[in-house]
Amino acid sequence: MKKILCLVLAVVMLSCLVACGSENGGEKTIGVMLSTNVMSLDCNLATDGDSFEVIADCIDGLTQMDSEGAAIPALAESWDISEDGMTWTFHIRDAKWSNGDPVTANDFVFAWKTAVQTNEEYGYMFDSSVGCVKNADAILYDGADADTLGVSAPDDKTLVVELEAPVSFFDSLMYFPTFYPLNEKFYTGLEAGTYGTSGDTFLSCGAFILDDYTPGAANFSLVKNPDYWDAANIKLDGINYQVVGSSDNALTAFKGNSLDLVTVSGAQVAAVKDDKDLSSKLKVTGAGYMWYLSFSQTEKNAQGGMLANANLRLAITNAIDRESLVENYVMDGSLATYTAVPPQFAASATSGDDFSGDQTKFADVCSYNVEKAQEYFEAAKKELGKDSFEFTMIYGNNEGDEVTKVAQAIKEQVEANLPGVVLNLQAMSKAERLDKMQNDNYDVALTRWGPDYADPMTYLGMWITDNANNYGFWSNADYDQLIKDCTTGKFVTDYDARWAALYEAETLVMNDAVIAPLYTKSNANLIVDGLTGVDFHPVALNRVYKNADLTK
Amino acid sequence: MKKYVFKRILTAVITLLIITFLLFTLVRIMPGNPFPSERMTDEAIAAKREEMGLNDNIFVQFWNYMKNVMKGDFGKGTSLYNGAPIKTVLGKSLANSFKIGGIAILLGTFVGLVLGVVAALNRDKFMDVFCSVVSILGVCVPAYVFLIFLQYNFAYKTTLLPYFFDSRRFFESTIIPSVSMSLFTMSTIARFTRNEMVEIMDSDYVLLAESKGMYGSKLITRHVLRNALIPVVTVLAPLVVDLLTGALVVEKIYGIQGIGKLMVDAISGEGIDYNYVLALGILYSALYIGIMLIVDLVYGLLDPRIRISSKGGDK
Amino acid sequence: MTNYTEKDFVLLGERDIQTDTNFASQPYWRGVFKRFFAKKRSVVGLIIVLVIIVLAFFGPLLSQNGYRDITSVKDPETGKEIVARGLDPQIPWLDKLLGKEADDGLFADKTFLFGTDDLGRDLWTRTWYGARVSLLIAFVTIFIDVIIGMTYGLVSGYFGGAVDSVMQRFVEIANSVPRLVIVSVLAIFMPKGIGLVIVALLITEWIGMSKIARAEMLKIKEMEYVLAGRTLGASNFSIIFKDVLPNTVGPIITQVMFSIPTAIFTEAFLSFVGVGIMLPECSVGSLIEDGFNNITTLPYQIVPPIIVLALLMLGFNFIGDGLREALAPKLDDM
Repeated sequence: MKKILCLVLAVVMLSCLVACGSENGGEKTIGVMLSTNVMSLDCNLATDGDSFEVIADCIDGLTQMDSEGAAIPALAESWDISEDGMTWTFHIRDAKWSNGDPVTANDFVFAWKTAVQTNEEYGYMFDSSVGCVKNADAILYDGADADTLGVSAPDDKTLVVELEAPVSFFDSLMYFPTFYPLNEKFYTGLEAGTYGTSGDTFLSCGAFILDDYTPGAANFSLVKNPDYWDAANIKLDGINYQVVGSSDNALTAFKGNSLDLVTVSGAQVAAVKDDKDLSSKLKVTGAGYMWYLSFSQTEKNAQGGMLANANLRLAITNAIDRESLVENYVMDGSLATYTAVPPQFAASATSGDDFSGDQTKFADVCSYNVEKAQEYFEAAKKELGKDSFEFTMIYGNNEGDEVTKVAQAIKEQVEANLPGVVLNLQAMSKAERLDKMQNDNYDVALTRWGPDYADPMTYLGMWITDNANNYGFWSNADYDQLIKDCTTGKFVTDYDARWAALYEAETLVMNDAVIAPLYTKSNANLIVDGLTGVDFHPVALNRVYKNADLTK
Repeated sequence: MKKYVFKRILTAVITLLIITFLLFTLVRIMPGNPFPSERMTDEAIAAKREEMGLNDNIFVQFWNYMKNVMKGDFGKGTSLYNGAPIKTVLGKSLANSFKIGGIAILLGTFVGLVLGVVAALNRDKFMDVFCSVVSILGVCVPAYVFLIFLQYNFAYKTTLLPYFFDSRRFFESTIIPSVSMSLFTMSTIARFTRNEMVEIMDSDYVLLAESKGMYGSKLITRHVLRNALIPVVTVLAPLVVDLLTGALVVEKIYGIQGIGKLMVDAISGEGIDYNYVLALGILYSALYIGIMLIVDLVYGLLDPRIRISSKGGDK
Repeated sequence: MTNYTEKDFVLLGERDIQTDTNFASQPYWRGVFKRFFAKKRSVVGLIIVLVIIVLAFFGPLLSQNGYRDITSVKDPETGKEIVARGLDPQIPWLDKLLGKEADDGLFADKTFLFGTDDLGRDLWTRTWYGARVSLLIAFVTIFIDVIIGMTYGLVSGYFGGAVDSVMQRFVEIANSVPRLVIVSVLAIFMPKGIGLVIVALLITEWIGMSKIARAEMLKIKEMEYVLAGRTLGASNFSIIFKDVLPNTVGPIITQVMFSIPTAIFTEAFLSFVGVGIMLPECSVGSLIEDGFNNITTLPYQIVPPIIVLALLMLGFNFIGDGLREALAPKLDDM
């Protein structure tokens, strides 16, 4: 008996101690922090920035982002646009999947047809509000056959895309993972749902190959793809990703040289700035998404629809000290924002100007001005025949360190600057917050929206009547018409006129204070000395490593 | 004995089945929308419910589910990792958790036993005091606090060990988490062993043995240790369970891909993943019941004095 | 027959064998008290717990800051709002008393005994507020143990037979589900927060107590006085709660004392994981998590909650140990 026990113990002990071999990758392998788990490596299931980043490391689109965020040729060597702008013909270059198969136009056709059928979150990228691919609306919303999608492959190296309206930024949509190719044979050969769940069930045709991965992995690694079409220009040997939940942990890991690129939160930024050694490694980059207040304008909320009154909304938006919010509570270099479309992500293709570069353009309706706020408030009181108001503001308590602080600060500012307004706070999870907003069961909500593509429409499209993301239920016929003109109507071919019309639409939103923009989030990154060329983008792919190099 | 073993195993299996059914029913009658998403339409949600068979009779659903579970298939997640099949995640996670948990339990038991024995032999001397300080510390401070302490000192202040779990440096990576998890086990076992030993050393039969001229190591090994160790087996079961709980945070902080981290991801993320909760709930219960079963059987084997009544096994 | 001489015996050392002189002459409870207070450990435990209770209730009153108030002042020069973020512990009047040079910062006149956290909230107030949550949990545990666990165990043990059998099968099943699983399933049904922690404790915490109570009942119900009561026609209720209950108090109190630390631990753990208490409320567990999230920049922030948690655990464990020994004395201890 004893002997058997001993034996069992010994076996258990041994099996516990068996260590896996294999050393770290090559010399130029970098350690990179991810703040959340990669949710999926299937480009039709992924919905978050971290997943998109890893997918884009491994798979190229027809185009990819250059360091400025503009579209440059990738799997498409070149492309032609028909004169009416309705037909795009992409010429696919000689590239290989990591199993040796060539990348063909058919891989895109298959991927896109799969996307319009299965991609629940980003299928709309094909529809008439964004990509305008022919028949996408009918397939997505009216159950038409996916084979009718306006994409075809006359031969292995040519991809023809037909649009319903000219889309000037169609090339820059192509670097978004929703439009990436899938190897049909490989994908359909796998057991359903297992694509992208390990190194063996994932194919790469990009700069890196997935080495060792399982869903939810806290750490996993990518190695350089020797067969990549542009392999000569890829200098890194690999990337080790590490999921780090706490930004303080990230900071210590960075200081201890465990990671080479981390993102820290506002609380750490102050400490980093005080540290001579670290402050030189700090790089603040735009994260893209904007936090704003959404006001419910329907009768059943806010004491019988009080917030349907534009003056009351204007009073609130002018009573908020956004500079104090970003300096005292967010603290990571986020930008106070006074426009419905945040700055930094959408630049005009003709002039190169940032759509919202000028943050003072709506200063007369949105700024921190207590006097003006009180004027609006007086007007609102007169119109509503009421002196005191009590609203509840909902916010997520699992959406980052600063959200709770910001909510509390807004409460204090609004109550102090508008005597008679009481803003109660109600904390809940993000899922609950979204649920309440979708069911129109809230007064005021602290919420956020990130750009999906580099065009102001990614924001402005939200406030048309009946849009699912129009949480305030604001409706304006002029606005709807303007947006329609810009997506499928008269402005689609005239870039500058469209740009001007978009600005006009934004003015309508701001004059009515449909939302109260608060701040545009930034990421405070720490980058180790010697790591250069990592491209940061506020939209689509947050970090791109194709130009990165590590010299020690 | 055979009858007892058989009966004990049967009870365990039935208990597990009942629990599985209860968990399944609870998770399936949940209110609200299991697919939290900003962009999903009501129709898409309805279609997904239909696809997942959520509209069937609960017994039909349970039967289908159990058929799949027997094949090792726990279905797909509802929100976690965007619905990756649970089995693709589970294997590696279980392996990691078992390895680290196993080391922790072995380390804790071994050191705890040594500490307890040494303390008992040096009653009221330095080693005894040291042992009680260690056991107080281990009981009063959570494992994750130890982990933070070790990580801060041995992976940050001095970079002796990896700061995060790294599967390529498996052995070094297991030191910090398994040591921090083993402390609770160690302190409990040390305290328990010491008290058992002291009690036995004071007992009449040891006194008798002593008066017969038996003393020193022979007495300790043959009479004291042997009888003191048997009850230690009984505390192991609850300790393993505590370890499972402790592993949750330890895995999360140290970035170990184990079932504990999976559980935390499943319940503390933006939406709770019903299917992961169910699968992990079944696994955890199975583990728990399995461990209790093993301990009972081993205890029965080790100690012939235990007369197993027909109701045996009730604890 | 051999004749033994002194040489035949070896002295193994002296052993204290005391004779029982006072057992019979002492009333039970006075003896318990005496034995409890004779142990240094139990007294220390009691003092620790009492001090924490007092501080948890009166500590926050000593500070002018609420547990969720962010301290901030307007910078007189720029008019910008400055938040008292990450301040070290400071006690202006003590500094003055000691003749230390006053800090000329904006917050020089404010007292922060434990400093402030990363948001500019007073850690002193928050720590004691968090301790209140732990004490609330302790109180809830007593309630669960006594009301549910004890009653269940006594009833099950008293009636025996089929009733007992059914009730014990239920305990067996309930006992086979790890608490972790119960919490995660509950998280589907309930909003995360302190309510979830309490319900989870309600479901799991009574089991240990019910076993103890049942065992006691099985022991006592065979005694003559219970039989006598029954023959005289006393109702079941009166026998269980009037005749048996008072005689099971000892083990029950001990069990309560030991389940309190487990419960406090559970709460701290759940709050750390993020399914317990929700911001801006705080508990010891969530404070440790906050501290962990700022350990490089504000390393002192994690210290007070850890110490409070450790002391609470220590205190209740010591009291439990002391009570156990005082209630079930071995001859050695008398």
